[in-house]
Amino acid sequence: MNLRIINANLVVKLMGFYREKTTMFFTFAFPIILILVFGTIFMSQDSMEYRLCVQDLDQTNSSAQAVEILELNGKFKITRVDPAVNAAQYVRVNRVNLVLVIPKGYERSLIQRMMLNDQNASVTITYIYDPSSSSVITKMQILNSVLAVINQGMSGKPPFIRSVEESILTRKYRFIEFFVPGIIAMSVMTLSLFGTVDSDTELRQKGIIRKLSTTPITRTDWILSNILYHFILAVISTIAMLLVSYAVFDVSLHIDAWLLAFILLDVFAFVGTGMILTRFVKEAQSAAAAANAISFPMMFLSGSFFPIELMPGFLQKFARTLPLFYVNEGLRASMVFRDNMAALRSAAIIGVFAAVVFILGIVATKWEEGK
Amino acid sequence: MTKETAYAVEVDRLTKRYGDLPAVDDISFTVRKGEVFAFLGPNGAGKTTTVEIIETIRPPTSGKVNLLGMDVTKKKHDIVHRIGVLPQGFSSFDRITVRETLLYYARLFSVKTDIDGLIELVNLRDKTKEQYRNLSGGLKQRLGIAIALVNNPEVVFLDEPTTGLDPRARHEVWEVLLGLKKKGKTVFLTTHYMEEAELLADTVAIISKGKVIAMGTPGELIERNANYLSLTLKPIDEKVFEIVRKMGFGPVLDNHKNIKVRVEHTYDVQKILNAIKDAGALYLGLDVRKPNLEEVFLKLTGEALREDPDEMETE
Ligand SMILES: Nc1ncnc2c1ncn2[C@@H]1O[C@H](COP(=O)(O)OP(=O)(O)OP(=O)(O)O)[C@@H](O)[C@H]1O
Ligand SMILES: [Mg+2]
Repeated sequence: MNLRIINANLVVKLMGFYREKTTMFFTFAFPIILILVFGTIFMSQDSMEYRLCVQDLDQTNSSAQAVEILELNGKFKITRVDPAVNAAQYVRVNRVNLVLVIPKGYERSLIQRMMLNDQNASVTITYIYDPSSSSVITKMQILNSVLAVINQGMSGKPPFIRSVEESILTRKYRFIEFFVPGIIAMSVMTLSLFGTVDSDTELRQKGIIRKLSTTPITRTDWILSNILYHFILAVISTIAMLLVSYAVFDVSLHIDAWLLAFILLDVFAFVGTGMILTRFVKEAQSAAAAANAISFPMMFLSGSFFPIELMPGFLQKFARTLPLFYVNEGLRASMVFRDNMAALRSAAIIGVFAAVVFILGIVATKWEEGK
Repeated sequence: MTKETAYAVEVDRLTKRYGDLPAVDDISFTVRKGEVFAFLGPNGAGKTTTVEIIETIRPPTSGKVNLLGMDVTKKKHDIVHRIGVLPQGFSSFDRITVRETLLYYARLFSVKTDIDGLIELVNLRDKTKEQYRNLSGGLKQRLGIAIALVNNPEVVFLDEPTTGLDPRARHEVWEVLLGLKKKGKTVFLTTHYMEEAELLADTVAIISKGKVIAMGTPGELIERNANYLSLTLKPIDEKVFEIVRKMGFGPVLDNHKNIKVRVEHTYDVQKILNAIKDAGALYLGLDVRKPNLEEVFLKLTGEALREDPDEMETE
């Protein structure tokens, strides 16, 4: 191993990459575009569920307080609807799926109930909703439970059954926060796999490999500089993706050494896969096709874009045989769920895979053209 | 260990088989230090195979090959520092400039190289900032030659350095190679252009179908294998042909109705001309020529060296 040679090789590769603007653009921009597109689609869905339109016809201190309770509940972001408008019309015109209407006389009924202890005094809150919206039912259920708690509280007796919400996830996450680690895993895979396949077949076809084999550069130097090159690109690409995710979607992702570790393992695994491919598929075009055949199903089946829980059982089983699945799992474990043990488990599995593939790749890479 | 020899390359009974095909078939030869040695042969003769075995790129099937006294199958790591290689159909990184490319290769060898001197030598001063992909074929080959020289090698291998170049570019490459020759570098050249071998080589080995069929200086080869003169006559009278035929020389007519006669000595030329004169016949012009390597090759193999003799001019 010769660091100066590795460095010389790295510099040439980076310069070539930098000067090839279209490749550079697609390498870095494509994952960012994916994040922007999918992030935007799902961002609106994320927030629609929590927006609540309230029309307060009573316009009293008490009714305002009630609205505030709904807001403080934390599940809703309240939009106040002008009491003068027709609520049903408002639903249609503004394409919201639900307006909660607090009736006139709310405060009066409340005083009757609380002060005068009139058990018959009550108010009726109306949901004006659009039944064609799929999320409106969930929204009404949440509302009902919030109202039940308020009712219960007013009865003055402590509740018998209490519930505590305990998600299996240690913290709540948004779709985009699930998505970004998947895209990082995927784009590091594609840039390593295709980068290796493209450059190896090109250099082989151009006879540059043959020329290099008459210089002191060794196979190890060559492969190490390749790894380093892809690692650098992967880190730059990841930083770009994260910057955009933070700036545009204000994601909350945990970044620590695991991120670097998984990027590195991802690079090793798929540079190795690329090296094996180019050994067996000599033509540049068929090599690219083979790389596609490997990476394409992997993207969709290993949970880069959506949770594998959404897939049928046998596909879920299959997903667990895919290396990219473990990069996804590991990155999410560390970035979203902050679960070091889970990250370690995934790292171990992808680590073994990367080691095996990489060693096979080294064995498969023939420096000398001739037999 | 490395023993000092007078030979840069010693090839002893080298054979290389691809399946049933003996691409190189039991050949032996030596290359002296300081000489320009040319492997002359048609496509598929086994030139590249032989050269790449010497360069340690391919393993031989059998036989022994020493480079500067070192066994090529065992001393690859020592050998690469002492040779410079221009592979057939050389190519480099598309978007790296001439100077950067030379720097890159110099770094691979971990040597300080006079990059400017090299650029000067191959006449690429105006192109140092040009990316490889923008160079013409001739410039690419000259860059390839410069790269082959970055480690100041003792033996330089150039595999078909001028194939595919137009005549002007070819002559420019020859200029560079003549410069190398003047410097006393040992150069191992392969080519299928006999002009190239004749112009540059001290020793020519003619290779065909994996065998070296003749070897020597260009002069020796011609002397030995084509020791005759070619007389060409442009006749006015039809009877000139008859006169020559009757003298027993076996003349042939070419496409332009020229009479071609092969004779042993200048004395025979005299005889033919006298006979024509005595018969009162006339001819417009004549040309007496010593044969070249092309004819040597034709004689030895019964095949033309190049399928298309006009290739030099048209490609
Ligand atoms: N890797 C290989 N596998 C199988 N056959 C090969 C291989 N390399 C060369 N050959 C065969 O060996 C013979 C010699 O090839 P070689 O390339 O040495 O010829 P050459 O003299 O360099 O020809 P050219 O002028 O076309 O470069 C040819 O018939 C070729 O098809
Ligand atoms: Mg050849």
